[in-house]
Amino acid sequence: MPGMADVTGDTFSASLIRTAFLAQTRWAAMKSRTARKYMDLHALSASLDLFKPGAIVPWVSYLFPTELLSSYRITPMIPELGSATLTGTDLRDPVEAAAARMSLARDVCSYHRIALAAVESEMLPPPSMCLGTTPLCLGKECMLELLAVRYNVPFREIRVPLPPDEGESSPEAVADVADQLRQLHEDIGRWTGRKPNLRKAIELSNRASAAYGHLMDERLAGRLEMDGRKTFAVVFLGQLLWGTEEGAKDFERLLTERGRSDLLPVVPEGGRKLKRLLWLHTVPHHDDQIFTMLAEHDAAVVFEEMGQMHYETVDPDDPFPGLAKRLTDNTLWGSSARRARLTVALAKQLKVDGAVHFNHWGCRHGLGSLPVVRSAFMQAGIPLLAIDGDALARRGAQQDKSRQAMESFLELL
Amino acid sequence: MPTCYYTCNLVPLDLMVRSGYSPRWLGNHLRDPNAPARREALSIHPMTCPYVTKLVLAADELFGSAGAAVAGDRLVVPGGCDAARRMGDLLAATYPGRVFVMHMPRSSEDGVVDSVADSLRRLEDWLGVARQADDEIAATATSEEPPSVDYPADPTPGGVFVVAGPLTDNSLLRLIVQLGAPVAGLESCTSPDRWRALAATTTGTLAAGAADSRAADYERLAAKLLQVGMCPRRSTMSRRDYLIRRLDEMRPSSIIYARQSFCDPGAYDSLIVSELARERDLPYLEIEVDFPFDATGPLRTRVEAFLEAQLLDDDLLRDHREPAAPGADPACGVACGAVVGAGRQNEVSLDDDLSDDLFDEED
Repeated sequence: MPGMADVTGDTFSASLIRTAFLAQTRWAAMKSRTARKYMDLHALSASLDLFKPGAIVPWVSYLFPTELLSSYRITPMIPELGSATLTGTDLRDPVEAAAARMSLARDVCSYHRIALAAVESEMLPPPSMCLGTTPLCLGKECMLELLAVRYNVPFREIRVPLPPDEGESSPEAVADVADQLRQLHEDIGRWTGRKPNLRKAIELSNRASAAYGHLMDERLAGRLEMDGRKTFAVVFLGQLLWGTEEGAKDFERLLTERGRSDLLPVVPEGGRKLKRLLWLHTVPHHDDQIFTMLAEHDAAVVFEEMGQMHYETVDPDDPFPGLAKRLTDNTLWGSSARRARLTVALAKQLKVDGAVHFNHWGCRHGLGSLPVVRSAFMQAGIPLLAIDGDALARRGAQQDKSRQAMESFLELL
Repeated sequence: MPTCYYTCNLVPLDLMVRSGYSPRWLGNHLRDPNAPARREALSIHPMTCPYVTKLVLAADELFGSAGAAVAGDRLVVPGGCDAARRMGDLLAATYPGRVFVMHMPRSSEDGVVDSVADSLRRLEDWLGVARQADDEIAATATSEEPPSVDYPADPTPGGVFVVAGPLTDNSLLRLIVQLGAPVAGLESCTSPDRWRALAATTTGTLAAGAADSRAADYERLAAKLLQVGMCPRRSTMSRRDYLIRRLDEMRPSSIIYARQSFCDPGAYDSLIVSELARERDLPYLEIEVDFPFDATGPLRTRVEAFLEAQLLDDDLLRDHREPAAPGADPACGVACGAVVGAGRQNEVSLDDDLSDDLFDEED
């Protein structure tokens, strides 16, 4: 198994190691034939290209409509994904050391802190442009624009108004965001000198959306159960692949039983009833103890709040309003009251036994809405547990505390 | 007269006065930390900045069942950062109809003025409707209660430039002056440059009447608000340019950044400010502060040590550059522009050009 430094270099030997490593990953995907393994392969392959000399590297926010980049055959660099990946490799210690040396306060979101440290230590490729969206948080906009200033590259922010607490965003709000996206798509072409093919990107994205939307409908209707943590991992990686041929095929693989065979929840032995949980906010990427414990207690995360992405297809003839609406009416955007209303409705629809809110380190957006969300779950009579943690952390004292809280919660359920 | 509390200075107080409210900054009404906690008090996650934490408690205390707020009182929460926006969400959900959360953009691009103008229009409409519902409240003269932060003395070029989040008072500035250094400027949410610019006017106000003139008023106010409010949550590039202008104008000898913990905009802003200090070869100190601000204990020691180190540098620099003028007190910093503070004279300028200018004048 090569190290990250071996596969991200621009030497001839790094190129050979990269090719061998990808071949190995491809072989693993071909053996399993699951969507998840193929997505690992394709996300890895696309991301490694970002390290090549002369690569165009757009640093983008997590909800950025990446079809605007696929249109130009450009892969996005999403800081949250970069941080989660690096901290799961042999570069974990060096990147944590680099973050500790930085003068940035330690209390900011760890995804963004690690990403900033990684790019400054040449563990992630430097940006060619930084493209943000006001959803979901202010911190990542601050980080993206800081990077743009430091590397003297263009920065754009798609300003997305907050949706109303009830109902949908106004047509004017959607049209305003659509105009910004249209302008940005043109700007990307001007900056890169490449010709766009947005129609093709949208058609490929629609194939992925149709497959994923169908899958989510089945889950919401109770006809299909999937492991929430693993499904989130697929959606998380999938953010790199919307609008690509590989992405379309990978999401379509989820439609077959074989393709999603590694995403199924545990089945309790002896016919015992499964305790079904809804997971709110991001998940711990590298600490699986909580999830192991869930399985030991006949419990499983059957749905994840952050998996609610890209259900609807977009009109290829006029894609910008559709892309805009994904932002304006994103379930994760808006007031705490909106988030509470949507998550309680989700919990009721799924008839879960309880919900877990993961208080990710430094996330003001998520932590700030917790009191309203908690109150709404209480009123609805649905047990909710909030656990503190860091999505990038491995085992530690904080994780132990959260596990104890989870254990008590499961016993109560 | 009912009160309209507000959490951030970026609200034109005229809007409140015109709607018949006395505007009061919520930071002046913090909960007594020694008072017993209410059983039903709101709680927020400990990883929230002290400013938002204390303001939530203050609002809850005021608007809660036994609070001092009367039926017609309202609260306006500009949602400049995620924590502030979530504070507004929480208070609006807890006290429905009494809290208005105002969206605040980061950028100053095309269309942003219109968006802020629309927010201001909706705010004034909301205040007006709320006021009409409380028409039994007798109309008396309004009064305003902005933050009380002001410079202890006029800002002095060549002094210490302070960047901070919201401050309850000017004790940090006074501390610096007491330690013998002048203050070159304050860049804070509650600095007088901010709150004075949007304070209520003596005439009371915006033009009433035709829709066109009202729309123009809102646009003018929105543009002013965006211009005045160049705070850490704003566009990094615009903020950086703004800070460069201020530093060029005041030519400080050093920079102190008083950052609140768990503040995202402040955390990234402090990186920019530290870079600007490095580019100018200025001593830079970052301190983590609470809200309300407490200028005693370890914080005082750090500021003291920082300033003393500079003064020592200056002494060495002065000794190296020029022998004392005949008759001059060698311990006195007249040569480089002295400032009297707490009975002691010190010079704080390390800027070569400025030192040269002042030196020539003294000569």
